[in-house]
Amino acid sequence: MNAVSPRRLPRGQQAIAVLWPSFVVAIAATGLFFSAFNPRDLVPFNLDLDISPLAAYSIGFFIFWLFGILCGYGTLYFTLANARVIDPGDG
Amino acid sequence: MQQKSPPPETQGLYAAHRKIYPREVSGRFARLRVLSVVVLLGIYYLTPFLRWDGRQAVLFDLPARKFYIFGLTLWPQDFIYLAALLILAGMSLFFFTALFGRVWCGYACPQTVWTEAYLWMERKIEGNRQQRIKLDKGPSSAARIRTKALKHMIWIVFSLWTGFTFVGYFTPIDVLADKLAAASLGPWETFWILFYSFATYGNAGFMREQVCLYMCPYARFQSAMFDANTLIVAYHPERGEPRGSRRRGIDPRQAGLGDCIDCSICVQVCPTGIDIRDGLQYECIACSACIDACDEVMDKMTYPRGLIRYTTENSTLGKPQRMLRPRVMVYATILLLLCGFLASGLLLRVPLQLDVIRDRNALYRETPDGLIENVYTLKILNMDEQSHRYQLTASGIDDLKLVLDHPDIEVAAGTVQQLIARIQADEFKLESRSQSVSFHLQAVDAKHLQTVEEARFVGPGRN
Repeated sequence: MNAVSPRRLPRGQQAIAVLWPSFVVAIAATGLFFSAFNPRDLVPFNLDLDISPLAAYSIGFFIFWLFGILCGYGTLYFTLANARVIDPGDG
Repeated sequence: MQQKSPPPETQGLYAAHRKIYPREVSGRFARLRVLSVVVLLGIYYLTPFLRWDGRQAVLFDLPARKFYIFGLTLWPQDFIYLAALLILAGMSLFFFTALFGRVWCGYACPQTVWTEAYLWMERKIEGNRQQRIKLDKGPSSAARIRTKALKHMIWIVFSLWTGFTFVGYFTPIDVLADKLAAASLGPWETFWILFYSFATYGNAGFMREQVCLYMCPYARFQSAMFDANTLIVAYHPERGEPRGSRRRGIDPRQAGLGDCIDCSICVQVCPTGIDIRDGLQYECIACSACIDACDEVMDKMTYPRGLIRYTTENSTLGKPQRMLRPRVMVYATILLLLCGFLASGLLLRVPLQLDVIRDRNALYRETPDGLIENVYTLKILNMDEQSHRYQLTASGIDDLKLVLDHPDIEVAAGTVQQLIARIQADEFKLESRSQSVSFHLQAVDAKHLQTVEEARFVGPGRN
């Protein structure tokens, strides 16, 4: 069954397993998103933001990364929760 | 099913591991790798300083949304070329992996290249493998702290320079240098310099082989490109076994020994800490350090070289080797097609774009002369590095009239000009309620600069 339970991943490995793929995905998403949309044309929530393009790209990147992290953490969380159910070997 | 997890004290930042102290190695492949490191790092650190036509030759100008690559200026509209370039890079990786195995990992991967550079600095400061192990095992002393502090200081300076260069690809590097000298770097520039520096410091100084083992996606799927004719680094067990130490000069056959003297130098030089004599392992990045190391030992023993060598699975099994095989030919075909597409696309690319937006407020209106009129907003994007004058014409309906709000169209280099165009047509010349018309834009001073854009023309419709 589950010879290697993901629950036994060290904390550091868990963190990188979430942070690293979401980082790669965030780079791709940022590239694609800002190729299509100029941050100068974007007015999020009718806020009149006066920020530099570099700041807009950076913030965009972090938002994508955050969503990737949430998704990755969700996957990790449910995998761990599931492993707890199907792996009776650990008390 | 019940597996005991390793005791927590052996778990490092990423996974349970022991620190690897790669032993220095010299030989043909080591020289090749040093050459590769010098060339690739040279390209990385010097490219931002190259000039072209009075600007930085390679600059990914994010605020202006333009990528300059020598004579080429790419706009967000040219995204397809960047995408094609990425696919091309991926495909070449497949092709070269199928032929030569993990040459990318061993010689060209930034992780290898920077790790090699950081290891070199480590060696210069802390000494060879034995000295480094001794230093780490030894008691904490002032000398040890001094050595370690010096190493980290030099690493950090090198990392900061790396981060600065990285940001120099996105902000003109001379401007960046001036800002740095005046201590007036923007918050995001500062952040990205530090971020990239930290990533380099961490990956090349600490993570090293763990990046290859745990984080690299290529390392996980490269085996899919492998077949029995792919070049691999392999130990020759028939020749080497049974391994064992012996005095120099004795005949190993008489002593019942193979050629491997079990000196374990191949293990000591391995940057991922594996024993190549255990067979092909996914940890092996094909850096060939073990080949150089073993060749040196074989030379000392006056045995023939090549106990560990570049070979293929077929060759070790005594089967014939084939370079050209379906897999390689399929990769090569796709690669050639992609190259052709990219090259022709870039050669035929017209640095001019016309966007036509139909006025959404009214479907059509009737002019005092009784003609049906549609209004369009035109955006002319001149992606060339010179300004041009253009002539606009329209076609699609017999005897149509094109009226422009300013007929003299001149667009400066790298800018967008907006204008209002009206098409007027006789109701009886219309074929249907909605039909297509084309706008032709032609530069007056350059024949190849022309583009055509379609739009809809809406009329009252006839019964």
